[in-house]
Amino acid sequence: MRSPKSRLAALTALVALPTAALAYTAVAPYPSTVTATTYYSSGTYHGAVDVANSRCNYWGAETGVSATVYWNVTVRTSGVVCNGNGSGNQNEALLNLGSGWSFRQWHWIKTSDSYDRTCNRCQVGNLGGTGNATGAHSHFQKDQYGTKNTSWYSSYTSKGEALDRGELMGYI
Amino acid sequence: MTRTFLLARALCLLTSLSLLAPSPSFAEATGTPLPPPSLQPETCSVEGLMDSIRRGLQSKSPAYRRYLRELLKESAVTLPEEQLRAAFERETEPLMVEHLAAALAAKTDRGESVATLQLVGKRASQDADPAVRAAATRALRRTSAEEHTGDLYSRLVRDASPEVRMEAATNLIEDNQFVYAGFHGPASDTAVAAAAASSDSKVTARILGNISTAAISKESAEQLHTLLRGDDAEVRAAAAKALGGVPAPEMSRARQTLVALYRDESDVGVRTSILQSLARLGFASAVPELRGLRNVDPRLVPEVDAWIRALSTGLQEWSLILREKQRLQQAR
Repeated sequence: MRSPKSRLAALTALVALPTAALAYTAVAPYPSTVTATTYYSSGTYHGAVDVANSRCNYWGAETGVSATVYWNVTVRTSGVVCNGNGSGNQNEALLNLGSGWSFRQWHWIKTSDSYDRTCNRCQVGNLGGTGNATGAHSHFQKDQYGTKNTSWYSSYTSKGEALDRGELMGYI
Repeated sequence: MTRTFLLARALCLLTSLSLLAPSPSFAEATGTPLPPPSLQPETCSVEGLMDSIRRGLQSKSPAYRRYLRELLKESAVTLPEEQLRAAFERETEPLMVEHLAAALAAKTDRGESVATLQLVGKRASQDADPAVRAAATRALRRTSAEEHTGDLYSRLVRDASPEVRMEAATNLIEDNQFVYAGFHGPASDTAVAAAAASSDSKVTARILGNISTAAISKESAEQLHTLLRGDDAEVRAAAAKALGGVPAPEMSRARQTLVALYRDESDVGVRTSILQSLARLGFASAVPELRGLRNVDPRLVPEVDAWIRALSTGLQEWSLILREKQRLQQAR
C-alpha cells in the first residue's frame, strides 16, 4: 500500500504549477485547438496565440490567466458576431502588466459578465468572432508599447495542439 | 469536466482508498492472507480533503506545502460552500485557517459569491486570536479583497497585533503590484488611505515606500503632502518617495513641495528620498532644480551629482534611469 505522502505526491502530476514566482500562467479559456501562433498558414506575421472552437456563443470565454488580476474590459461590439465585423471592432479584455506591457484577449461576444473585473479565470463574455475574424476564436497577445512578444508561448504551445479548458498556453 | 473537478474527484478517491485498504503491517503480523479491499461508495467531503492536506503539511518541503495550498484553492470551486464555511468557522489552528480562508477567497475570485471572501475578512478583523487574524489576513493576499471588504484594510492596519498590521501592509503592497500592476486608482487610494490611517509608523512607511502611486486621486496626493509633515523621519522619507510617482496633474505641486522640504529637512534619509523623487518627477528637466540644491547638504553632494549624471544621459524610462544611477554610484 502506498503511504499517504507518496499517494499525495502522485497527485502533483495532475496539476501544472507555475515555475517562475513572478510569471503568470496563461491558460486556455475553453476546450479548443491552437489555430495560429507566430505566423498564419499564409506566412503572414501574427505574433500571438489563436485558439478556436466551432461552437460560437456557446462556451464562456474565461480570462486566460491563472491568477487573480484586474481586467480592463472594452466592449466595441454589442451584438452576437461569430465570423468577424471588421478590424478594430473586437471586444477586448486587457491585463496591464506594467512598464508598457499588456496581455490582451480578443474577439469574445458581450454578455452580462462583460465589465471591468478583478478575478481568476472568470468569464468576460462568450466565445465569438468580433472584430477581424473569420470564425469564433480567442486571440491572446502580449505586447510592450504595441510591439508583440512571442517568447511567452513559443516553448509551450504550437499550432494544431488540442487544449482543454485551463490547460497551459504559456507564461506571461 | 474541468481539471479542478477531476482533481477533487481524484483526491477524494485516493482518500477513500486509504481508509478502506488494510494495513500491510497488520497482514504480515497475523500471517493470514486478507481478501482484496472492496471499494465502497463514499461521499467526497471537505473533511476528507482537509485530513489529507493536514497530513501533507507535515512535509518538510516548502514547495510541496505550497502545492497542497494550490490544490485546495483549485478544488474549492467544486467543494460544497456550506461545508467549506463550516470547516473554516470551526478551525482554530492558524495554518489550517489560512488554507481554508484561501480556498474561500478563491471561490469569490473564480466568479462565485463575494460572501465567502467577506467571511474571511470578518475573521481577519474580529477573531480573538491574533495568530488566526494574521493567518486570515495572509489568505486575502493577491485576491480581490480590497474591492469587497469596505474599509477592512484601514481597520487591519490599526489592529492590536503588530503581526496583523504588517501582514495587512504586505497585502496592500502585493495587491498593488501583482493584482493591479500599479495602475488602478482605487487600489492605490486604498493603500494610501490605510497608510494614513495606521498609527504604526513602520506600517505607514512600508506601504508608502513600496506602492505605485501612478494612478492615485487628488485626495490621496493631498494625504501624501500631509504625511510629509509628520514627526517620523521614516514616514516622511516614504511619503517623499511615494510623491515621486504621482500622476501628471499632481507633478508640479509635488516638485515645488519637495524642493521646499529639502531645504527645511535635516534627516539625510528623507533628503535622499526627495532627490530621487525630484529626478523621477522631472527627468532631465529636474537637473536645474538638483543643481540648485547641490550645496544645501554637503553629505549629499555625491548623490546629487549621480542623479545629474544619470538624468543627463537622456534615458526616457524611469527603470533605466534608476539603473544608470545605481551603476554610476557603483563605479565611484
